[in-house]
Amino acid sequence: MAKMTLKLPKMATSMQNGTIVEWLVQPGDTVAQGQAIYVIETEKTSTEVESPFAGRITPLVAIGDLLPIGTPIAEIET
Amino acid sequence: MSDALSKEQAVGVYRTMARIAATDQRIQQGLAAGALQFQYYPCGGQEAIPASIAPLLNDDDKSVITYRCIHDIVAKGTPIREIIAEMYGRETGTSKGKGGPMHLSDPNNGLMVTTGIVGAGAPIAAGIALGEQMKGSGRVVTCSFGDGAANIGAVHEALNLAALWQLPVVFVCQNNLYAEYTSFAESTRSESIAGRATAYGMAGEKVDGTDPFAIHAAATRAIARARAGEGPTLLECVAHRLQGHAFGSEEAHMDADKLAAARAANPVKRFRQRLIDSGFAEEAALAAIDAEVAQEIDDAQAFADSSQAPAASELLADVFASVADIPEVGKRPVMSAASIPDSAGRKIMYGQAINEALDQALAADDKVFLLGEDIEDPAGGIVKATYGLSTKYGRTRVRGTPISEQAIVGAAIGASMVGYKPVAEVMIIDFAMVCMDQIANHAAKLRYMSGGRTSVPITLRMLTAGNIGSFGAQHSQSLECWFAHVPGLKIVAPSNAADAKGMLLSCIDDPDPCIFMEAMRCYFVPGEVPEASYRVPLGQAAIAKPGTDITIISYSWAMQEAMAAAATLAEEGIDAEVIDLRSIVPLDLPSVLASVGKTGRALIVHAAVEFGGFGAELAARIQEAAWGSLKAPVARLGARYTPVPFAQNLEAMHFPNAEGVVAKARALMKA
Repeated sequence: MAKMTLKLPKMATSMQNGTIVEWLVQPGDTVAQGQAIYVIETEKTSTEVESPFAGRITPLVAIGDLLPIGTPIAEIET
Repeated sequence: MSDALSKEQAVGVYRTMARIAATDQRIQQGLAAGALQFQYYPCGGQEAIPASIAPLLNDDDKSVITYRCIHDIVAKGTPIREIIAEMYGRETGTSKGKGGPMHLSDPNNGLMVTTGIVGAGAPIAAGIALGEQMKGSGRVVTCSFGDGAANIGAVHEALNLAALWQLPVVFVCQNNLYAEYTSFAESTRSESIAGRATAYGMAGEKVDGTDPFAIHAAATRAIARARAGEGPTLLECVAHRLQGHAFGSEEAHMDADKLAAARAANPVKRFRQRLIDSGFAEEAALAAIDAEVAQEIDDAQAFADSSQAPAASELLADVFASVADIPEVGKRPVMSAASIPDSAGRKIMYGQAINEALDQALAADDKVFLLGEDIEDPAGGIVKATYGLSTKYGRTRVRGTPISEQAIVGAAIGASMVGYKPVAEVMIIDFAMVCMDQIANHAAKLRYMSGGRTSVPITLRMLTAGNIGSFGAQHSQSLECWFAHVPGLKIVAPSNAADAKGMLLSCIDDPDPCIFMEAMRCYFVPGEVPEASYRVPLGQAAIAKPGTDITIISYSWAMQEAMAAAATLAEEGIDAEVIDLRSIVPLDLPSVLASVGKTGRALIVHAAVEFGGFGAELAARIQEAAWGSLKAPVARLGARYTPVPFAQNLEAMHFPNAEGVVAKARALMKA
């Protein structure tokens, strides 16, 4: 059992910021590794991001805010 | 030797494929979690290619690979924990954290270069193979590149050279059907890459790059050819890429149906099932391998997590063999004058001095060899710099080449990485532009990108042919500033015969890549040159004429104008001190500052275009360091901002001359 912090990932060479436009999970949901958990919008595109870990997820940020890469956005208890 | 995978080998190939896939997934996991932040090029779909070739290679067989590289690196034997640590920029990484995901080196396991420049590894691989061929080691080099690289010039030059010299190299084209965002069909009309082999006069074979048995069989034939001295092979392995170009990048350019089919036929899972179905392995045995691999990856992650970032001192380490050679360090000791032996009045020309240096280097060390266009007898080079040497030392050590500058420089780089001291001729410095990638992105950076695990002790001879008439805009430039802007290159520009000999020998001895600029205008000027083999150290300026009123700093053939100007100034009662810089990097700034501290005036003269020239850099450094002792602003005189004109009257106006130097000096004296 470990708590993993997800940070806003760098999805493209030029990406400095991104906006989470949709959470595809609810707080407390159990997610599988590889399950799409949120939609991120960058300068170029919007993409579904898959969970790197399996576990119980707690989103930490609201949708719509422009966030720099590396911002903690969720925790997963594995 | 059977070309079929044995049961044991097949399970080994599976283990390697599983280790590759797990490493790739762990890196992508780090990227998705935001713990890693860089552009990453996944290798999913291509795992079988290096995994199936690996059992045919020894640790001391060499590989040169490209930036979609994790599968190649794991298969060559690099510990996964060092790979993961490099991804996290840790000092325990393969390159001490200084290479990153595109530039891993692990020479202990034969991984010599990972290049981020498409196609650029092929000439270097040919060079490593040349080195192994000359040693008679029986070792083989594999060179991996993608279908995109197949359409780049460097690969063409390398394939031609490797076939011409029958080098022990296997060019493995990993055709994943997409060059970044462009499909194979949109990149070439060729049906296959392997089909081009015939045109080069080498063997070619195309196989399913997801089928370990097929890859292994073809690679067995290719490697046997290479080891038997029967030359290179172009082996094309077709394996559909299972993701977009990079982690996170969109896949709209990929045919969705074919991509889905390729994913469904994941080569790692498919091969696992095949081993079970064919009775090669039990499910339990493969599950045990999977568990071991998972543990190895967790251990690798823990190793990276517990490792430190590189120490601050690592910033400047590995640019050169010695930190003292970095110009900005500025702590070069003021050296005593070079001890050039007594010449006993012996006079030879600058060009003859170069020939003599090459002759003595070849005689003294069997690791020295020469390569370049037209350097063999009877031509002996376009200005006879190598005349007589191929006759004396043979055509293995004095090696004529095709007109292929990328292959020439790449071959020199590669051979230098396996113990040779190549001296490559690029003929005219203007031609260096066609191989600038090899020089600037590879020769200059490999020591640094590998965290000091590899080095490139090469000498690149080039002529600057300015101001001798008739050569025009593309054969007359002075391009030292282009090289000076790339950390990792030493730049030497002798102005006289004695320096030409002593500095060329120093370049050949030097552990770093050296650009040796030979001035055509000096070529037939005689000077006193000792017959013995001697060295003029790099990074030691010479006071060509002592003086007290103004310091004139120059190098290469512009020294002729500086000295003529000093003679005129002396008649006017102005006692100029003329400093011959001799090398741009290492830079002897202390000698320059000592002189300017004495005279209070500095004028820099060079044949290169004044705008953006090296004089600007030197002027700024003098200004910053000697402001308190300056009696006048630091001045420069370089060539005018035009291409070099053909008509002699215009060419004379383009380049700086003694009159111009005198005029500038007079103005400074009045300031």
